[in-house]
Amino acid sequence: MNQYYNRRDFLKTATAGTLGALAAGAPLAGFLSSCSGKQATADAVILLWMAGGMAHTDTFDPKAYTPFEKGLDSNRVLSTFPSIPTALDGISFSEGLESMASLMDRGTLIRSYVAADLGHILHSRHQYHWHTCYEPPQTVSAPHIGAWIAQELGPKNPVIPPFINIGQRMTVGEAEELKAFHTAGFLGSEYGPFMIPDPSAGLDAVKPPAGMSFSRFERRNQLYTELLDQNAIGDLGSDYQKESFKRSMEQAYMLLKSPEAKAFDLREEPEEQYAVYNTGKFGLGCLMARRLVEQGARFISVTSEYEPFMGWDTHENGHVRAGDMKKLIDAPIAQLIKDLDRSGHLERTLVIIASEFSRDMVMEGRPGAEVLHQVEQPDVINDIRNYGMHRHFTDGCSILMFGGGIKKGSVFGKTADERPCKTIENPIRIEQIHQSIYHALGIDQQKHAIVEGRPFYTTPDGVHLPEMALFA
Amino acid sequence: MERRLPITVCVIFLQLLALAAYAQPEAPASEPADIWWGWEFVGRMHPMLVHFPVSLLLIAAVMELLTFRRFQSQLRAGINWLVFIGSLSAVIAALCGWLLAWTGEYGGDTFYAHQWSGTATAVLGALAGLLLWAVVRKKRLAFIKAYQVTLLLSSVGVFLAGHYGGSLTHGQDYLLGVTPWGGEDERMAAALGGTPTTVAWQSFAQLDTLDEQQEAQLNMAVRTVLAHRCFQCHSSDKTEGKLRLDQREFVFQGGESGPSILPGDVDNSELIRRITLPAGHKEAMPGKGKPLDDNEVNLIKVWVAKGAPWPEHIKGIFPVAPLEPRRPELPALTKGLENPIDRWVNDYFEGNQLTWPDVVDDRIFLRRIYADLVGLLPTPQQLRDFEKDTRPDKRAQVAAELLGRNDDYAMHWTTFWNDLLRNDYTGPGYITNGRFNISDWLYRALVDNKPYNQFVKELLNPDESSKGFIKGIAWRGAVNSSQTTAMQAAQNVSQALLGVNLKCASCHDSFVSDWKLDDAYAFANIFSENQLEIARCDIPTGEMADTRLLWPKLGDITKNGSVEEKSRELAQLLTQPENGRLYRTLVNRIWAQLMGRGIVAPTDEMDNEPWSRDLLDWLAVNFVDNAYDVKHLLYLITTSKTYQLPSVAIADPATINNADFVFTGVLKRKLTAEQYADAISTIVHPMYPTTSLKYNPEGDEASYKESHPFVRAALVQNDPFLTALGRPSRENIISVRDGQATLLQAMELTNGALLNETLIAGAQEWMATHRDKDGLITAVFTQSLGRQPSEDERRVSHEILGQQMDTTSVQDLLWSVVLLPEFQFIE
Repeated sequence: MNQYYNRRDFLKTATAGTLGALAAGAPLAGFLSSCSGKQATADAVILLWMAGGMAHTDTFDPKAYTPFEKGLDSNRVLSTFPSIPTALDGISFSEGLESMASLMDRGTLIRSYVAADLGHILHSRHQYHWHTCYEPPQTVSAPHIGAWIAQELGPKNPVIPPFINIGQRMTVGEAEELKAFHTAGFLGSEYGPFMIPDPSAGLDAVKPPAGMSFSRFERRNQLYTELLDQNAIGDLGSDYQKESFKRSMEQAYMLLKSPEAKAFDLREEPEEQYAVYNTGKFGLGCLMARRLVEQGARFISVTSEYEPFMGWDTHENGHVRAGDMKKLIDAPIAQLIKDLDRSGHLERTLVIIASEFSRDMVMEGRPGAEVLHQVEQPDVINDIRNYGMHRHFTDGCSILMFGGGIKKGSVFGKTADERPCKTIENPIRIEQIHQSIYHALGIDQQKHAIVEGRPFYTTPDGVHLPEMALFA
Repeated sequence: MERRLPITVCVIFLQLLALAAYAQPEAPASEPADIWWGWEFVGRMHPMLVHFPVSLLLIAAVMELLTFRRFQSQLRAGINWLVFIGSLSAVIAALCGWLLAWTGEYGGDTFYAHQWSGTATAVLGALAGLLLWAVVRKKRLAFIKAYQVTLLLSSVGVFLAGHYGGSLTHGQDYLLGVTPWGGEDERMAAALGGTPTTVAWQSFAQLDTLDEQQEAQLNMAVRTVLAHRCFQCHSSDKTEGKLRLDQREFVFQGGESGPSILPGDVDNSELIRRITLPAGHKEAMPGKGKPLDDNEVNLIKVWVAKGAPWPEHIKGIFPVAPLEPRRPELPALTKGLENPIDRWVNDYFEGNQLTWPDVVDDRIFLRRIYADLVGLLPTPQQLRDFEKDTRPDKRAQVAAELLGRNDDYAMHWTTFWNDLLRNDYTGPGYITNGRFNISDWLYRALVDNKPYNQFVKELLNPDESSKGFIKGIAWRGAVNSSQTTAMQAAQNVSQALLGVNLKCASCHDSFVSDWKLDDAYAFANIFSENQLEIARCDIPTGEMADTRLLWPKLGDITKNGSVEEKSRELAQLLTQPENGRLYRTLVNRIWAQLMGRGIVAPTDEMDNEPWSRDLLDWLAVNFVDNAYDVKHLLYLITTSKTYQLPSVAIADPATINNADFVFTGVLKRKLTAEQYADAISTIVHPMYPTTSLKYNPEGDEASYKESHPFVRAALVQNDPFLTALGRPSRENIISVRDGQATLLQAMELTNGALLNETLIAGAQEWMATHRDKDGLITAVFTQSLGRQPSEDERRVSHEILGQQMDTTSVQDLLWSVVLLPEFQFIE
């Protein structure tokens, strides 16, 4: 890995800091980051993905509450839930997130994420952008952030795959678009995601194939190795192919027989604990993430699963469904944070809760760049099915971060209290989010790969800086 | 108080002088003679001195604002001193700045902006000082307002001058470069940095003399360094120090400091002096970005020491291959080598002091040619027959026979073309009707062995069945201007058919080739209904794109013509025999497919040096002479002695495309995902049911079943098994697949459901047909590997089957054999 900042860069930035501090605030962040050095504050990441567009005004950034009544003017509705206090003075969440609210003094809430303006909304394009930091289409296959991390840091525990994705089936609508970013791209499939579509069947991914006893599995492997020794492997396959083949087979075998593989087995979990997490597939994914981090996983993404018009993708009946989604996520996320905190893992594990964009009842896209809407929202609501955040909004979204060096009990950025509830303070974009994650992990801001003769950076052109205000 | 003022100023000035002397230990002793060093020395104090007026005037302005309502506040005396010293130092700093500008090489918009905003600041500062002096000493109270306004104006000047000064020192857009909407230059600078050259300097240092090829390689390596590290300031766009390093003549001609290099004289070459100065030295190069690394410096040193070879025909920095076809004269028949390929290779071997090894035996040859032409394993019967065959031309016979199996041939080569034409049955884009598949057209073209010129014409000037390639992938929503479907077409046609990388140039002038932004746009315009406006790094320039081919000498495209018209012209112009590039690209791809590496590598960069230009050029013209017949080309290659050489192992895949590659035979290759799946389908049990066919050339399932023993993996949708074994998603052109084994792949092979289910089904069939253990073992080995098991292998196999052979132990034997590298690799 390159030096984070060499002397020359430092001087450059330091001088700039003097001038820049006078001229504007912007380069100051660079100055500060150069001072803070490259000490990693995290060595594992859990991304809790709110797939489908989670409305900020109905979750972590509530505005004035207008209860449902017949004849309600859509334009009046900013939030469809009352606010509740959090552990942080003056900061409220939306009703239904009580458990998470009680932990707000342990993390940082970003209220000013601004998603890209990609025109007519397609969820998978925004998700691609969030996860790779590049807007599709690209001329080469861009790697998922988990793949960059896997490539740079490798596995933390050699038997646990460094990039694990929990909860996303690749058989649902728009799955082809999802596949486009669930990949290591040009980094090579070695760094691609280890997919566990269903956490309750997670063990299947790391145990001998169906119908095979463990003893038979052991025996098969042992005799295979013997056969391999008899076979003239020395003459076959070029050296690197032979090497990589043998290594990968050994790795797979190690993982399959290792005690750590038990981390994938949720039945090992005490019943009470299991019950707290078990709000559904997502909750069990959180539980598996916790178990895997305890055993030395590097990057895990747990998704509420994207399927068009399901989950957070509330094109109708948004109020009721947002309530259901909060029931799904509140307890397990809170429990995950508490468990990690109690075991001490939170200190070195960065937990992120994010979504591709937000939603709004009437505004599609963003102010000034309104795009073709996809839901007919009546001006006057008479049916509760029309009461909810049904349109896609990209100009103000919430992201929560815990652990891994992130500030405790802090709020970054702000959205307007009146429609459009857009970002009005400290806008933050995906490049800074990614760089902040890399910064926490001690990954060079300039990390890149050479693809077709040109450098391809983790964030476009490698010029973006981490947001130091997020860090303690 | 007044009396002390001059003293204070003097003291401060002297202190600054001392500080300057300390901070500038590297100020060079000898400079171009016409300027006295002292002037330059004082000039260089400018960057230090500017911080005084900056801080003093600003603090004064702030305090003035704080006490805006009451001029005679408690801060008055302090403000006065700040303004007096601040304005004086502003004047001194400005004077030093002018000295610096006079003695140094400065110019450009940013510089002038800095110079004049700085000067204005000094003048305003001085004026503010004078006004204030008039107010406090002469009691001209009427001047208070004027003073306050002037002071505020001068502090605005401080901001501006500071900003432009920062841009001068750190590059334009230093400030805005970090914002999401700004910083184009900084982004481009970042994009430039750190592209390594793969050639090690040591390989040249040891040689006493370089032959022509080594000279070319060394020169290429040096040019690569120059391009990536020096171009930003020393090329056609920017010519700092009047030095250009982008063309042969300019490099030798040098710049303001005289010739940049003296061939053979490392010690006195200015360029080497500059790149070896300690980082931070004023004259150290590169002036921006990271210093050159050791290898880069040493490459240039070795190059200069060897007399700075630069082949006459290479004018620019990047290699540019000739466009025209060339017909080299075939070497005379020697050593009984009748196949023209062998005669060229013989030439090459002799030139490289290599000898011909013996060709491989029948078994290896048959497995190899089956895998390459139809993607299948030969059956034990086919192998026996072949081994027994005594005809001297039996290898040529089998090549002809396999090429005659039109369906098997098409099913196998579908995979190669799907990757290259980014054609797939599923994938992004289909959901919004933004993508079209060309599977049927492609399959028919392969079955019919459509002449390649016609094949290309139908891709470029398509009908409904072949339009998918040019139409690209249209995602819903707004896309970057370098990814419009017209630009995708330009990139894909260039890459797949012409071996040109136009991706960089579709955003900005390329740093890795001579292609410019307007070349890319002019080419893309051919595919666009409306004339495209050129956008640089996604920012519209207001300039409209021309309409032309990458090589205008191939002919003109009607400007403002309809897409149909332009496509017709494009198809005609690109496929004419005079376009040697199109046919070299194709023969090189086919060669790489069979040999593991192209004559030029990577196959997408046809401007790179081939290891044998004669062979490449001859193959290309021969291909045209033979009516663009791909099967003829395949026949020619597979019947050569060269194709039958023992396979060669590669120690490090990263070196495979290196310029110093020496051809000694076919590289060892892994079966593709499709070949591997098909082999398992043949030996164990069909992996895919007919219901999984995504493209069925026979129309309905029953007809497919009738004429094909199993579903070829090329015809099914990508799945976790195929993905793990390397089948790519085809949003982008894939011309080479990843050859490395991975954990995910090993997991899929060890506990994946698809393979496991196939083994379970297969074991039952094997049990039903083989009662005897020994017979089963023999059959498994001969069917999978085309040979009998060795004694030790037989012993271990017996152990696997156990005392009482059952379906699980048969599964385990089948699994163990299909996981052997011998099964997975093409030897």
